[in-house]
Amino acid sequence: MIEFKLPELGENIEQGDLVRLMVVPGATVSAGQSVMELETDKAVVEVPSSVSGTVQEIRVKEGDKIKVGQVIFTVDGAEAKSSDQSRAAAAAAPVLVRPVPVPQATPATTPTTLPAASPTPDAAVAPTSGPSEFKLPELGENISQGDLVRLMISPGTKVAEGQPVMELETDKAVVEVPSSVSGVVKEVKVKEGEKIKVGQVIFTLEGGASAPTDAQRPRTTPVEHVSGQHGARLAFQAAIRAEGKTEEQALPPDQPLLAPQVFSMPVQLGKVAGTEQRQPIPAAPSVRRLAREVGVDIYDVKGTGPGGRISEDDVKAHAKSLLQAASAAAQAPPRAGHFAQPQLPDFSKWGKIERVSMRGVRRKTAEHLAESWNTIPHVTQHDRADITELEQLRARFAPKAEEAGGKMTVTAIALKVCSAALKVFPQFNASIDVEKEEIIYKQYIHIGVAADTDRGLLVPVIRDVDKKNIVEIAVELSQLSKKAREKKLTPEEMQGGTFTITNLGGIGGVGFTPIVNFPEVAILGLSRSRMEPEWVQHKGGGKFEPRLILPLSLSYDHRLIDGADAARFLRWIAEAFEQPFLLSVQG
Amino acid sequence: MSESKNFDIAVVGAGPGGYAAAFLAADLGMSVTLIDPEINPGGVCLYRGCIPSKALLHVASLIEESEQAKNWGIEFSAPKIDLSRLRSWKENVVKKLTGGLGILSKQRKVKYVQGRAAFENSTTLRVKKFDGAEETSTFDRIVLATGSRPAIIPTLKLDTPRMMDSTGALNLEDIPSTLLVVGGGYIGLELGSVYAALGTRVTVVEMLPGLLPGADRDLVLPLHKKLEKLFDSILLNTTVTAVKDEGAGIRATLKAQDGSTQEKVFGRVLVSVGRKPNSEIPGLEKTQVKVGPKGFIQVNKQLQTDDPSISAIGDVVGEPMLAHKAMHEGRTAVEAIAGQKVAFEPNAIPAVVFTDPEVAWCGLTETQAQNENREIKVAKFPWAASGRAITFDRPEGMTKMIIDPHSERVLGLGIVGVGAGDMIAEGVVAIEMAALAKDVALSIHPHPTLSETIMNSAEVFFGTATDIYRPKRG
Ligand SMILES: Cc1cc2nc3c(=O)[nH]c(=O)nc-3n(C[C@H](O)[C@H](O)[C@H](O)COP(=O)(O)OP(=O)(O)OC[C@H]3O[C@@H](n4cnc5c(N)ncnc54)[C@H](O)[C@@H]3O)c2cc1C
Repeated sequence: MIEFKLPELGENIEQGDLVRLMVVPGATVSAGQSVMELETDKAVVEVPSSVSGTVQEIRVKEGDKIKVGQVIFTVDGAEAKSSDQSRAAAAAAPVLVRPVPVPQATPATTPTTLPAASPTPDAAVAPTSGPSEFKLPELGENISQGDLVRLMISPGTKVAEGQPVMELETDKAVVEVPSSVSGVVKEVKVKEGEKIKVGQVIFTLEGGASAPTDAQRPRTTPVEHVSGQHGARLAFQAAIRAEGKTEEQALPPDQPLLAPQVFSMPVQLGKVAGTEQRQPIPAAPSVRRLAREVGVDIYDVKGTGPGGRISEDDVKAHAKSLLQAASAAAQAPPRAGHFAQPQLPDFSKWGKIERVSMRGVRRKTAEHLAESWNTIPHVTQHDRADITELEQLRARFAPKAEEAGGKMTVTAIALKVCSAALKVFPQFNASIDVEKEEIIYKQYIHIGVAADTDRGLLVPVIRDVDKKNIVEIAVELSQLSKKAREKKLTPEEMQGGTFTITNLGGIGGVGFTPIVNFPEVAILGLSRSRMEPEWVQHKGGGKFEPRLILPLSLSYDHRLIDGADAARFLRWIAEAFEQPFLLSVQG
Repeated sequence: MSESKNFDIAVVGAGPGGYAAAFLAADLGMSVTLIDPEINPGGVCLYRGCIPSKALLHVASLIEESEQAKNWGIEFSAPKIDLSRLRSWKENVVKKLTGGLGILSKQRKVKYVQGRAAFENSTTLRVKKFDGAEETSTFDRIVLATGSRPAIIPTLKLDTPRMMDSTGALNLEDIPSTLLVVGGGYIGLELGSVYAALGTRVTVVEMLPGLLPGADRDLVLPLHKKLEKLFDSILLNTTVTAVKDEGAGIRATLKAQDGSTQEKVFGRVLVSVGRKPNSEIPGLEKTQVKVGPKGFIQVNKQLQTDDPSISAIGDVVGEPMLAHKAMHEGRTAVEAIAGQKVAFEPNAIPAVVFTDPEVAWCGLTETQAQNENREIKVAKFPWAASGRAITFDRPEGMTKMIIDPHSERVLGLGIVGVGAGDMIAEGVVAIEMAALAKDVALSIHPHPTLSETIMNSAEVFFGTATDIYRPKRG
């Protein structure tokens, strides 16, 4: 058994009062751990243990005066020699057993505990005979009446003796008047706003009432040597409690006890008017205010600073993500909106799976296309263009384009064709403003070209296509495609399109239904061109001829564009392909 | 915003809450009427609260310190107290400040009406002016800042100047040979200290088992020890059950927890058992304003009552009944009226007891953490290790920091000792800014000052305080 003795505390300090013990029998202590608080005549000090082990017996009590060298407690050693008593205690409840505190040596060390509630709940309403009504008791010297400011009872209320039942304003003060009877209120004989005289009946009780029982008597029996009428004394007694000092005692026993009224500043924020009981948030006041201004609940924001501190940027980022979510939700019906989808099955049940993050381009594409699909009623019109002649033109322009650093592709030509078509059919170069109920016609022609990159689908935009010739377009398209593959496209280079072309011809296929690139209203899809037998009309009859045919698929927003217009538009494009001559004249 | 600029706004009550609200409203361009019975703005705080009590406490600490100087080889003869000069000095302090507020009102073109306001309806006030005239005006918005008054215990009401509330005690009519202070809250202890320093033998009676209910016990302890020397006696768990005017004094019956009673005669009695909100504003029932069970006007975080055109602030809306809380609420209420998106949502409201030593705290207290079963770490730095405290011979102080063990964020600060009230502000800033204990420990504090003890308490948390040896626990 090892003993821990009070070590030397400093010059001229030989003893101190034990204010707080921080160990109990059974507790594990280690050297250096604080085990008690000692008040010397200089200061309160925490005393660290110089031993380690399991506390066996504590030899001191809170409130004791302790001298340097005195044994504080013992810890478990090889030949621990502890008394039966402490062993029993330790066995019964190794951690919870606390040394019984002695009555406080210094009053100030007494913890602020509530005075014990004295009355037993049932005793208060035990039906014995007693007064069946409550009259206004005397309130004090020279006070004979008062205005009833507030009634705190109504028929059916259970009142207990000492419970405040009304507030009365006398010409001196507003006082709470406690009941001197217990029972259930039957009839209230007064109204708020009335003048009430001492002795006037305030309320009656149901079937008589209970007199104070023995259990209560000590609370209500007037102090012997105070002279005055019985009723007044009772009222005074109870009024002390009601007015504040022992308010909880004045409450009916069947109500939960309130904490004693703490008159010295109880700065508990949860209790401050208007503040809810939420833990203080780690954000500076200016940041909290910013959150309010932008309509963000600061408690939803994740702080990225030390200790979870929330910065202005955290709030802004959160607000931005909220906005994005909100706009996606607003544009898409909830069913298919912004990735909201029914619960997925557990795919791994059926085999091995791998989960890969869907960040970046893929997520953007998914969101954007879902948005387009959900917003736009799509129709796709198919047609075919005979580009046999066009091939010649292409061959003619190819070296020129090559010289300039571009490649004369079908897409480049399609860009030129579409720019011309969009001038003739301006409703395909427009957007719908649903909110304002307006159609926005764009006086410029910027055409996006869907590019397949290893990051996914990107759509660089070529500006003012109508003002450029085919070679210029081809060069620009080559540059943008290169940039796209090298991940060098800037966001600006992918914005502002009025129409989109997507060409899957390099891969194959005979047709498809592209999705309109919202907020545009139409998109042209190109598939693989191939030689097909085409019936060619001659003067004296006709015959099948091998012709190069390009399949065209035009998806459009049916809200703005009627089917017939779409058919005309696409025919116009097909014919333009078929008569490249026209184009060469134009550009 | 543009339309709220033209608001006609009335503020009822010109205490710290009321004048702060009125001045900000004027600064924002509203036309403002400020109504109060006193000749100048100031309210309880300036006329009969914070300011006069602090002026007298300054005198008390001077007397105390000059006595303590004996220990340092300096001896003064017993002070001669010229009560009327002391009183007029205190009154001049009050006049200077309230007069200054009067000038500020004029400069801001606030219409100050000396009188008492009553409601005609939600937007109309009838003001009974000081000169007897009545004036009825309608406003776009009304802010109630009617404050609070001392709570009265009917048994302890006697019609004699010997029976005082805080207002009476601040009037300092004489220096009674004995004084009974009923209630060991901050007002009772502050005013009791003043009288004790002036030579009165003071007895404090407190119903609860400790002084300053609500504050952490270890912060109260050094004060309690000091007051035990300064006062005749401190009776805890005791109530005053009766008082009787005996002409030459007041006979009081004191009842201890065990039921035993004793009677004593005192020259004067100060009843300081708390304050009641002034929510009984005439005509309030003609509005939709709701008053809660404890008499506080109910408001939301924007300080708006249940009546859309009425806001309320300060003591009349709830605890803590403190001037700085009232002022902050006043400004918030007006900003909300001006259409700004604001809320009264402090993370810490400091409380200061201006006794000697002072006790101050803010944010989470250890007591509250225990009640809520919250896991915290407490780091204490005793002033016996503070060079500054030793230089003026007051080593009984202590600074403690309440820290979240996971984030290591500062959640609360408590200080007992000389100047605690001025120092607590650092804790408020730390808590409001969500500082970590590390942040405080790494901020250089000037040496030798008491403010270092705040940095030191943070260092104690890490087990690395220079001036004491206390390895980190656990
Ligand atoms: C002795 C003492 C010491 C104190 N010390 C401190 C301290 O150190 N620090 C601290 O922060 N707080 C202290 N306080 C508390 C502080 O005084 C209050 O918290 C503060 O004054 C509240 O401000 P308020 O604006 O809510 O109202 P008040 O200051 O109470 O002002 C309300 C005003 O409204 C007027 N009024 C009421 N009804 C009407 C009506 N119908 N028409 C017109 N006017 C009306 C009143 O007459 C009063 O002038 C102390 C209080 C006392 C009594």
